[in-house]
Amino acid sequence: MAAINWRTINIDALDPESATNFDLSTLTPAVQPVSTADVQTLSGQIRQLLRGGDSEGALKGALENAPYGADEAGKAIHLATVTEILQNIRQAEMTPILQRMYKSDGGSEMCDTLMKYLYKGMAQGAPTGSESRTNAASGRNITPQATGFTQAGGRNFGGAEGGSQAMSVLLSWHEKLVELAGAGSIVRVMSDRRTV
Amino acid sequence: MSQSLRPYLSCVRSTLTAALSLSNFASQASERHNVPEIEAASSPEVLLNPLIVSRNQEERVLVEPSINSVRVSIRIKQADEIEHILVHKFTRFLTQRAEAFFILRRKATPGYDISFLITNYHTEEMLKHKLVDFIIQFMEEVDKEISEMKLFAFFAPTTHQNDIEKG
Repeated sequence: MAAINWRTINIDALDPESATNFDLSTLTPAVQPVSTADVQTLSGQIRQLLRGGDSEGALKGALENAPYGADEAGKAIHLATVTEILQNIRQAEMTPILQRMYKSDGGSEMCDTLMKYLYKGMAQGAPTGSESRTNAASGRNITPQATGFTQAGGRNFGGAEGGSQAMSVLLSWHEKLVELAGAGSIVRVMSDRRTV
Repeated sequence: MSQSLRPYLSCVRSTLTAALSLSNFASQASERHNVPEIEAASSPEVLLNPLIVSRNQEERVLVEPSINSVRVSIRIKQADEIEHILVHKFTRFLTQRAEAFFILRRKATPGYDISFLITNYHTEEMLKHKLVDFIIQFMEEVDKEISEMKLFAFFAPTTHQNDIEKG
């Protein structure tokens, strides 16, 4: 019967009154569920604006209609749209666009949403947790024999510069946005339970 | 400083400055305990959204804020296997002396090379901007250090050979 070591059971997880089981949904503001098809239609409309040369309008439209209630696929589509707009805007136009956006109605919220997308864009391509450890076993090992002593996990080399162009666009947007909206905008990204 | 390093570091700097607003918070799970909530993860409501700042696929910083502690994990640039070994040795050297660094975590988060854990006690005792400066300076120095060590690893045999030939 000793299949499970009862000393390792986290009893807090079993207690409905404990802090571990705090209901996070009480902290999340109610968001309307958005279907992936709707996000797709929206991104089509925004791309049309972008093709028409109105990148500022496209950015505003994308940030005002951020699909908080969409599922992961829908959010990924919208992130791709926002990233495309950001990459289409030239370096010199960033600050004027941000200033106009910040001064307009609800500009502060739009800036916070943009900040969320910047961080989400930078988080793209990051492995989820233990992925980088697993390729140690798949041939690219440091030591030819399994000595059992090395803690150095395997790692893929060569792809180091991948995506650095896209990242530097996001980084310069981030710099300009922090200049305008301040550190409070970052704090709101960290504390807002509505994720993009 | 290279062109793309400056925006990366300034982004990390502003992210850390925003994340380092910590307050004392006693554990809700056990009485008279005070643990870093980001490590204990016993109360989900005091953990904030983690942020990732990346320069490219291989270089990034993960900032995991919570009410009384922030965990900062850095993935250091490694272009080839020599650099990989050097980074491993270097971070191992540091983590074995972790108590001398106060904020250094003994073990890095999976997927990253080195981690720092800053609690509210650290921000009470030390100046916040100095803590941020320390991490930024570490990130600047570590790349230099690694490439220096790599050069030395390449040229050490040649230097020794010259010494032997000279007699």
